[in-house]
Amino acid sequence: MADTTMGSAGARPTLFLRNATGLVKAWSTFDAFIYSFMSVNLVTLALFYGTASGYLEPDGQLLSAVLFTGVMVTFQVIVYAGLVTAMPRTGGDYAWQSRVLGGGVAFVLAVTGWWFILWYWTPIYGNILIAIFINPIAATLGWTGVTDFFTHPLGIFVACLLTLAYVSAVVTLGMEAYARIQKVSFWLGMAGIAVVCILLLVYSQSDFQNAFNREATNLFGAKAGAYQATIDAGTTAGYTPHDVTFFSAGPTLLIVPFLLFALLWPNWGATLYGEVRGAKDYRRPFWSMFSGLWVTIGLVLLLLLLFAKTMGWGFYNAANSAFGAGTAPVTIWPNPLMFAGWLVDSHLFQIILLLVLGAWFFGWAGTLFLSSTRVIFAAAFDRVLPAWAANISATRRVPYGALILMVVPSIAVSALYAWNVFKFQTFILDAALVIAVTFLGTIVAATILPWRRKDIYANSPIARYNIAGIPVLTLASVVTGVFLLFTLYEWFSNTIYGVNNRTSLYFMGAMYVLAIVIYVVAFYVRRNQGIDLNKIHEAIPVE
Amino acid sequence: MPKIFFATDLHGSEMCWRKFLNAAKFYEADVLICGGDMTGKAMIPIVEENGQFSVTMGDEHQVVGADQVGEVEAQIRRKGYYPLRVTPERLQELDQDAGKRKECFQQVMLDGVQRWMDMATEKLRGSGVRIFVCPGNDDEMEVDDVVRGSNTVELGEGRMVEVDGFTMISTGWSNHTPWNTHREETEKQLGERIEVMARQVKDPAHAIFNLHCPPYKSGLDEAPAIDADLKLMHGGRALRPVGSTAVREAIDRHQPLLSLHGHIHESKGAVKLGKTLSINPGSSYEEGVLMAAVVNLDAKKGIKSYQLVNG
Repeated sequence: MADTTMGSAGARPTLFLRNATGLVKAWSTFDAFIYSFMSVNLVTLALFYGTASGYLEPDGQLLSAVLFTGVMVTFQVIVYAGLVTAMPRTGGDYAWQSRVLGGGVAFVLAVTGWWFILWYWTPIYGNILIAIFINPIAATLGWTGVTDFFTHPLGIFVACLLTLAYVSAVVTLGMEAYARIQKVSFWLGMAGIAVVCILLLVYSQSDFQNAFNREATNLFGAKAGAYQATIDAGTTAGYTPHDVTFFSAGPTLLIVPFLLFALLWPNWGATLYGEVRGAKDYRRPFWSMFSGLWVTIGLVLLLLLLFAKTMGWGFYNAANSAFGAGTAPVTIWPNPLMFAGWLVDSHLFQIILLLVLGAWFFGWAGTLFLSSTRVIFAAAFDRVLPAWAANISATRRVPYGALILMVVPSIAVSALYAWNVFKFQTFILDAALVIAVTFLGTIVAATILPWRRKDIYANSPIARYNIAGIPVLTLASVVTGVFLLFTLYEWFSNTIYGVNNRTSLYFMGAMYVLAIVIYVVAFYVRRNQGIDLNKIHEAIPVE
Repeated sequence: MPKIFFATDLHGSEMCWRKFLNAAKFYEADVLICGGDMTGKAMIPIVEENGQFSVTMGDEHQVVGADQVGEVEAQIRRKGYYPLRVTPERLQELDQDAGKRKECFQQVMLDGVQRWMDMATEKLRGSGVRIFVCPGNDDEMEVDDVVRGSNTVELGEGRMVEVDGFTMISTGWSNHTPWNTHREETEKQLGERIEVMARQVKDPAHAIFNLHCPPYKSGLDEAPAIDADLKLMHGGRALRPVGSTAVREAIDRHQPLLSLHGHIHESKGAVKLGKTLSINPGSSYEEGVLMAAVVNLDAKKGIKSYQLVNG
């Protein structure tokens, strides 16, 4: 014992450590960065929906909107890193909100944002699997039957089932195996992006036009001149072409709620950081999340500029506009990375590139249920959910209770999405909105933490970060809160985002009602069993 | 019938110990059980020089006067560390001499345990509340003597005790860890240690196994994976089961009503292993939050209710 001396103030030791369990060395920031980076995801989220929606606000300036979103989400990163530091190993939003706002509010916000809405993310994941992986490869192979199948409801439903199978396998394999898959996917995906960047850098816009016209005809049977036809179709559908540098502040701001579909998630691993002893070090979780966010932003900006240079800015946006209207000569989602591959006149090369870029999906999709499982476990341990929800199988340690609660409703929601019942396919931004509300709950908790739970805050390393006597945690929370409120206001009031219609509101409202009903029922059932749910998070007096 | 309050892995956090003692009144508990690893992992020197006291906690260095040093010491204890007032010369001596450092740490730690025993006596003597402590693998053997000396707190280690119609056996020993701590042994030895006590239990339906180490692959034993250099792997996200197979076998074989565990702070949970309800309330001692389990026992029903709390 007492075998280690640490730290120094001048030449003096500042701490004597003895030999004890759990004294480990800190985790690699790079490993944690990968998780954050893959959660924000350059390809599956940023390019698939985030930047691809830019044409809906044609007077806005996409590059500035990306930068502005990055700056604002950085404040969120500051808040989450602060909470991880103040309350490590506690399970993220649910635990933080529980300790500050109370168990009932925390349960409703956590299960809607980390559990129920993930049912809707399942068909979104399935759709992304089709858009960036299945259809581009099938089209390049000339398997038109496959691309046709996956544009029909049954095909979409099958893609959702494939996604669920993959995600369930990842949960069963466990985090260690998934971390390995993710690391391999990271390097493969980055290699693919590097190839795309080189192609876009080396070739000219006329090279691209020729390549596009060639492959649009070869693979999709488009008439000659598909490049110009795409621009024409996009313009006819309502897109107004501008130069990439065109700037107008108001419309630029209105692009931000689209971008949050991708850029809101650098803290996705926050529920997991909590298990780490080294998380007391504020810098480590901060840099993991910050670099995950800003490396993505840097790559998004680089790719957008390269798209503008080689494909043409008007073409990039018009292609998305025409696809949205269903009039594009290339009938599958206009994947700009696939288009870049067309610069090389070899289908073998194109397929290899698409397979490599598919790593962006497989290194990301596993995140779908991992955090949900944790929240379900936490709620079961708090006796809000039945004990079986936290059961794991004896041999393979499969959390079958949580998986049932995730998979079964996801199948039902996927069916509604695939067959577009109640126009379910138009609620894409509900997926971001509900989680943003959960984050807002955490932001409120963080704002008042220094006063509401002074015992925890004062005891934490972040207590020393103040500006003009006000905790940095509170200041960053206020900025994030204002930003989230602006976004929520736009989502709820502006029809362009497609989520303020009655059906969408009923869908989201139903989730909150379900969460409240579960909590109220649990409260009274447990009270009859002699369990007071209010006591779970009530601090025991110290003196 | 007894209401049990079980907390574990306080690791020297005086805030948590105070909460532990106050939990009897707060939750109207009849029995308090501290599951082990009660002593702290680090000692922070406070250097006395020219009437001033200097100390470094984390990255923060501060110099205070004699009137404030008491508050600084309290702050250190709240975090689970031991404050140590020293002269510059004594500090240098401890820095350079591992033997003296070891001796000093042990004394400071035992003084800390004695201080906790005194607090328990002051707070709960005559209250009718029974308090059990069972030192864990991180607690040195000498801790047992200090606990034995208390007239309020009962030592659990290696004993079978009766608690209002229920039988409890306890051990803080664990299977081997990468840190080679004070109460570690092979699975076979640990199995024999448990079996000696378990054999004496007449009615498993009214038995409590208070075993510091959680059962293997129970979901209560998932710790972050580390490499040979004790570095957390995969950003700290990869978890592995590190519980004891001997503990698992004892539970599977004897099927007690309740088993109480700790050791793996990250692995909070409650699971059914056959007829046994196994609980690891986890630990968040660094935050000063006392994670615990409140269990209502009933002679007929066995476990009437249970709840994991963050007090």
